[in-house]
Amino acid sequence: MKKAGRIILFKRAHSFRNGLLPILTFTLLLAPAAFAQGQGRGGGRGPAGPPPPPPVAKAAAPWDPTGYWVALVTEDWRYRMATPPKGDLTGVPVSPAGRAAANAWDPAKDEAAGNQCKAFGVAGLMRMPTRLHITWVDDETLKIETDAGTQTRILHFKPTPGSQGEGGDLQGVSIASWDRSIPVMGPGRGGAPPGASLKVVTTKMKAGYLRKNGVPYSENTVVTEYIDRLEHPNGDSLLVFETEVVDPANLATPFWTSSHFKRQKDAAGWNPTPCAAH
Amino acid sequence: MILNYKKSILAAVIAAAAVCSSHFSFTPAAFAQRANERDQQPTPAPAASAAEAPPVDLTGYWTPPMHEDALERGGGSELGDYAGFALNEAGRLWALSYDPSRVTLRYHQCDAYVAPYQMRATGNFHVWEERDPHFHRLVAVHVWGQTTEGHRVIWMDGRPHPPAWAPHTFRGFSTGKFVGNVLVVETTHMKQGWLRRNGTPQSDQATLVDYFVRHGDHLTNVTVVTDPVFLSEPEVRSNDYYRNIADHRNWLYACDDGEQITGRAPDYVPNYLFGQQPFANEFEKVYKLPLISGKSGAASVYPEFMAKMKTATDAEGLALLKPEPGKTNETSKAANPNPTDGQIHVMPLRNNVYLLVGDGGNVIAQLGEEGALVVNTGAGKMTDKLIDAIRKLAPDSFIQFVANTGFQADYTGGNGKFNLAGRDPSLVGSFFSNQHPEAGNTATLIAHQNTQNYLNDLKYPEEALPTDTFLEERRRKFHNDDSMEMFWEPHSVTDGEAIVVFRRADVIATGDIFNTTAYPVIDLKREGSVQGEINALNDILSRTVYEHEEDGGTIVIPGHGYVCNEHEVLEYRDMMVIIRDRVRDMIKKGATLQQVKAARLTADYDTRYGANSGPWTTDMFVEAVYNSLKNPPAAK
Repeated sequence: MKKAGRIILFKRAHSFRNGLLPILTFTLLLAPAAFAQGQGRGGGRGPAGPPPPPPVAKAAAPWDPTGYWVALVTEDWRYRMATPPKGDLTGVPVSPAGRAAANAWDPAKDEAAGNQCKAFGVAGLMRMPTRLHITWVDDETLKIETDAGTQTRILHFKPTPGSQGEGGDLQGVSIASWDRSIPVMGPGRGGAPPGASLKVVTTKMKAGYLRKNGVPYSENTVVTEYIDRLEHPNGDSLLVFETEVVDPANLATPFWTSSHFKRQKDAAGWNPTPCAAH
Repeated sequence: MILNYKKSILAAVIAAAAVCSSHFSFTPAAFAQRANERDQQPTPAPAASAAEAPPVDLTGYWTPPMHEDALERGGGSELGDYAGFALNEAGRLWALSYDPSRVTLRYHQCDAYVAPYQMRATGNFHVWEERDPHFHRLVAVHVWGQTTEGHRVIWMDGRPHPPAWAPHTFRGFSTGKFVGNVLVVETTHMKQGWLRRNGTPQSDQATLVDYFVRHGDHLTNVTVVTDPVFLSEPEVRSNDYYRNIADHRNWLYACDDGEQITGRAPDYVPNYLFGQQPFANEFEKVYKLPLISGKSGAASVYPEFMAKMKTATDAEGLALLKPEPGKTNETSKAANPNPTDGQIHVMPLRNNVYLLVGDGGNVIAQLGEEGALVVNTGAGKMTDKLIDAIRKLAPDSFIQFVANTGFQADYTGGNGKFNLAGRDPSLVGSFFSNQHPEAGNTATLIAHQNTQNYLNDLKYPEEALPTDTFLEERRRKFHNDDSMEMFWEPHSVTDGEAIVVFRRADVIATGDIFNTTAYPVIDLKREGSVQGEINALNDILSRTVYEHEEDGGTIVIPGHGYVCNEHEVLEYRDMMVIIRDRVRDMIKKGATLQQVKAARLTADYDTRYGANSGPWTTDMFVEAVYNSLKNPPAAK
């Protein structure tokens, strides 16, 4: 009896597969067309009406970036908690021009010229020992404030000529998106991967320093950040900024760092302090 | 029905693949896993949700750009630079005592990296997936670090972590699951190692949660280390890697130990006495920082420490180089390595040798065509269950020999019952039978003569006393196709200790000479001594061989605690030498016992082994070390 039952089961499984094959083939044949329709009609929901608008960035957020966060300075400590000696460029892939500029660093000159905030620009700010206060300005705009150097970054999910400004300041123009790692040809049958990182691309910034000791980046730098929120079993939440700095003028290769912050339940320790050049 | 049927096949195949993959793996990382599987047979079917397809492909060749902490990961940080590490007092003092010349010692030369430091180290990484061959479901993610051939196996099939008494490896035992686009990995069962190569320690009690996030050709790994022994709060660090399209083909890390500095005494371990680390301020000097900068533990992690540095005094920094005076000794923060469910648990070790845990000291049974040879008999509270467990392992056999490593109640509590439950046919019909017709009706109990003397003094019943004793060097037997040797370790924790070595199985039972739960109970009344204990630990090390980069190889079963290899014995030996050196230095300077106790010379080990109550406190241990150095027993 057992054997017979097993045979029947195999037959059923076999016929199930036989039945599935044409359906799969049909689906695969139709998939590119459906994808193309989806691209053209905002998701291909059919001819009945216009597709619903995509959710605003705030509503689409896969995780909550807001609140107070404190930097955990456990890496590059000597370059972040202190001002390293002039010419100490260890770890930074500087170009010859970048090295020459770093060796010419003069903090007194920076102070005198009102450039004491050069190490607090967008390419160096997240490396500062600082707390962050992150809030939604509106449905499409995120704000990051730092108490170190009292800087403010504005991340635009839906940039408009009026909202994003012209740049040219230390924090530049930052365009944000929820990055879901979908391949250029679409997600395929497996669908879009779950979760998402916050991707921020910043350009049009004023030149600044990667480190307090004058390691330079130029105004043509592109800073790309992926920001992830990680939950630890002990209840801690971490915000990790994975940062790529590309500066053909001062760097020989892209410069990569990852900076992590721990979520605070309130504003404890928030202590706005002005920039200092050293 | 079809789905159920398919699920059951699927589960079986995945389970089989998982078992095969670990049983045939040669890596040390698989060692703990093999033991776990043997202890928990049958391997549980994987949870369906844990084995779903990964949402992100992490495979390929990855290289760290080393833009962060380049000095630390390249040439190495200065001694004394622990800035940004949340070291507690024990961790800071352990690090300050560390002399990097320690890696020239034979047994340290091939030390591998613990998982968090492996991810931080220089060198390339190779990540690949292990899929079951029939349904292509993800069984494991393998991460291979070029430096030290660091192979991490991240099990994705829902299997549980090994029990507390399972062995530790440098990379530990890891399980993972995808949360959104992030692979979250939990790792336990790591050996002691470094958080930073300048001696910043990570204990064998540490656990790791790490996260892998991929953005195109950029992979980020965030490690969060929780270590109740050496850290006051979790240590968070992050590592970046870029994707390489080609295999660079240099994945091996050949290391065999040898003589790097000849002529050293076997009990020499390079270390600095508290307050005498000559390079303690090197880091701060170079960067013109106050001495507290690299020594302030968790405080140094947070932004407000910048303000603290501006007002710090030299005195504050100097105070951090020694144990805080007047402070109550810390106590062990280590997890209990024993089962607490009132049952005896069996773990196959190698060949025909098994570990039985649950009744005080560890019990070992060697089984075969001849009768069982049992090492130690537990505390006597669960002897019937122990005997039942051995009978289940070998239903057609019997208990023929019992070897006692020492007199301690945790190892001899079941002697009487084991004796009466066994028999020794090798005596029946021999000349003994003429004089003692009852010979062979019970098991034969073997121990050093001094152990028999101690048990006699304690008025153990006759049936619990060793009947076959030896006086010098060793007792040996070829039994169940293996060579069993007992080596006397004079003046170690007592003068009656013996280790038991199974040559072919390559298993050593140490008795009370070595354990993972407490400082050694040096019994001065029974002629124990700190020097004899160090000699005994060195003797164990002289009989061990590691499998790969100081991992695996000879199995060492401590009297109490989890299954070990030579690395744990090595760290224990180092500790004994270092504490001896400190006490001896104070004795030379004329210190009294009270002054030695007040100096808190064990402060860097107390969070691992210390106790302020119970049968063996830190104070009692220090007193034993002090007195055995002041009045050493006569050499034998």
